[in-house]
Amino acid sequence: MTESQALVAPTSNQGSSQRAPIISARNVTMRFPIVKRYREMILHPFRPRRTCTALDGITLEIEQGDRIAVLGPNGAGKTTLLKLIGGLLLPTQGEIVVNGFDTLEHNSAARKSVGFVLNEERSFFWRLSGVQNLEFFGALDNLWGVELQNRITELMGLVGLEEAGEKTISGYSSGMKQRLALARGLIAQPEVLILDEPTRALDPVACDEFLELILGRIHRDSRKTLLIATHRLEEAVKLCNKVLIIDRGHVKAFGFLANLAKDKVTLLQYYRQALIAEAK
Amino acid sequence: MTALLHKSWAFITKDFRIESGYKLNFLMRIAESLMILIFFYFLSALMTSHNGGALGRYGGRYFPFALIGLAFARYFDLTLRMFSDSIRLAQVTGCLEAMLSSQTNCVAVVLMSSLYSLISGAVQLCVILVAGAFLFGADLSRMNVPATLLVVLLSIATFVAFGVLSAAAIVWLKKGDPITWIVGGAGSILGGAYFPITVMPGWLQKVSLVIPIRYSLDALRLTMLEGYSLVMVARPLITLTAIVTVLLPASLWLFAATIQKGRKEGTLIEY
Repeated sequence: MTESQALVAPTSNQGSSQRAPIISARNVTMRFPIVKRYREMILHPFRPRRTCTALDGITLEIEQGDRIAVLGPNGAGKTTLLKLIGGLLLPTQGEIVVNGFDTLEHNSAARKSVGFVLNEERSFFWRLSGVQNLEFFGALDNLWGVELQNRITELMGLVGLEEAGEKTISGYSSGMKQRLALARGLIAQPEVLILDEPTRALDPVACDEFLELILGRIHRDSRKTLLIATHRLEEAVKLCNKVLIIDRGHVKAFGFLANLAKDKVTLLQYYRQALIAEAK
Repeated sequence: MTALLHKSWAFITKDFRIESGYKLNFLMRIAESLMILIFFYFLSALMTSHNGGALGRYGGRYFPFALIGLAFARYFDLTLRMFSDSIRLAQVTGCLEAMLSSQTNCVAVVLMSSLYSLISGAVQLCVILVAGAFLFGADLSRMNVPATLLVVLLSIATFVAFGVLSAAAIVWLKKGDPITWIVGGAGSILGGAYFPITVMPGWLQKVSLVIPIRYSLDALRLTMLEGYSLVMVARPLITLTAIVTVLLPASLWLFAATIQKGRKEGTLIEY
C-alpha cells in the first residue's frame, strides 16, 4: 500500500457504514476540451480536439449528515467535482448518484436534493432587492404563493438579512451577498448543501459570522450533508468532520478529521503529506 | 402546468422589475420607432405620385406599406434575437449558473427568459401601429382582425423557431451567431420590409423566396390593408406552417442537444 493510498481512510471504521451514501461517485472522469487554434484547425481539421483532464477516475461515497471539507491546490478539480455533484456538469465517464438519482440520466431529480451556494457575487440580479431575488429563484425551485413568502421570511431571518430584504443587491456588502447566496441555496430545503469557497471574498469578521451561521444554525438545526471547497484549513477544522484532498484530478486522501487528532497530526501536516505522497 | 405558469410569471415579473428600473429606456425605444415612422411618413409624401404598380397589391400607398414593414420587421427581429440575447446576458451577468442549478429544466429557463421581451415588443408594436393609424393617417380600417392575428401568431412561431436555433448557435459558438446574421440581416434587405420585393432584380427576388419574413409581411399587408381572408393568403400561410412544423421541433431538439453538450464539456457558462 502506498503512502497516498493509506491516507484514503475507509469510512466503515467509524461505525457509520450502516447508512446508505447520499452521494456516490464511481470512476468519474471529467475532461474539458481545449479550443483548437487556427493553425491546428487548418493543418489538422479532422483531428479530435485535445482535452484537459480535470478529474480522473474519482470514486467516493458520502454519507448523509457528513460535513466534508474539499481541499486541494488551485486547479486541483475541487470546483469541477462540486459542480458534477450539483448536476451543473455531466461527467465524461463514470457516474454520480445523488440521493438515488444518476446526474446524467435523471439530472433534474438529482438536482432537487442539492443546494448550490455559488461564490460568484454576480450571480444575483443587482437591480432587484434581496427578497425579489429569492422570489425569482424560489419560483425556479417550484415554490410560490404563501409557501414561498413564508420560506423567504424564514430564510432572511436565518441568515440575518431581515432588515435588508427590500434593499437592492447593488447596496449589499460581500458578506450580505454571501448570506443571500446561502439563503438561495437553502430555499428548496435540499438535503445536500454545496459551498464553493464561501468565505473567499469575506473579511475575518464576516467570515467568522458566516461560519457560525453554517455551523450553529444550518448544520445544528437540519443536519444537512455539507460539501465545502476551501483553502482555509481552520475553516475546514471548524466546520467539517471529514476531509477530502484532491490534487491534479485525483483523490489523495479522504478521511475523518477526528482520526488526525488521535494520530496527533494537524490538518496542515496531513494536507502536506497527501500532496507530497503523490509528488514522490 | 401550474408550475410552468408560475415560473413564466416569475420571469416576466423579474424582467419587468429590472426594466422598470431603467425609466427612460422603454420610452426611448418607442420614441426611436416613432422617429423612423416620421421619416417614412415624409418619404411616402414624396413618393405618392410614383407609387406605380409595385404597391398596387397592397393598396397603392407607400406609408401604410412601410408602417407594417417597419413595425413587424422590428418585432420579428426581436423575436429572432431574444433567446440568444437572454442567454448571453445571463452568461455575462453571472446569473446563468445560478438559474441552471435550480430545479427548472435548462431549456425552459432559456425559453422563459425571453417572455418579457416578447410582451414588451408586442406593446411597442401596438404603439407604432396605433400611432401610424391615428397620428399619421394610415388606413387600417379594412383589417381582417382574425386573419391578421393568425398570421402574427404563425409568424411569431416561425421566428421563435429560428430564435431557438440562434440560441443553440450562441451556446455552441459563444459569439458570431450565423442564424441571426442570415435570417435577420438578409431579411431586413430582401424580405420586403421597406420596399416591395417586385422592385428588386429578378435574381434577388428568387433569393428572397427563402427569406421567411417575406411571407409574413406579404400576408400581414394583405390582411391588414386589404382585408384579405385566410383563404386568400393561403399560400404564405402554408409556407409559414411548413417552416414551423419542421423547424420548431428540430430547433428545440438541437438546442437541448447543445445544452447537454455544454454541460458535458463545461462550456455552458463560458462567453
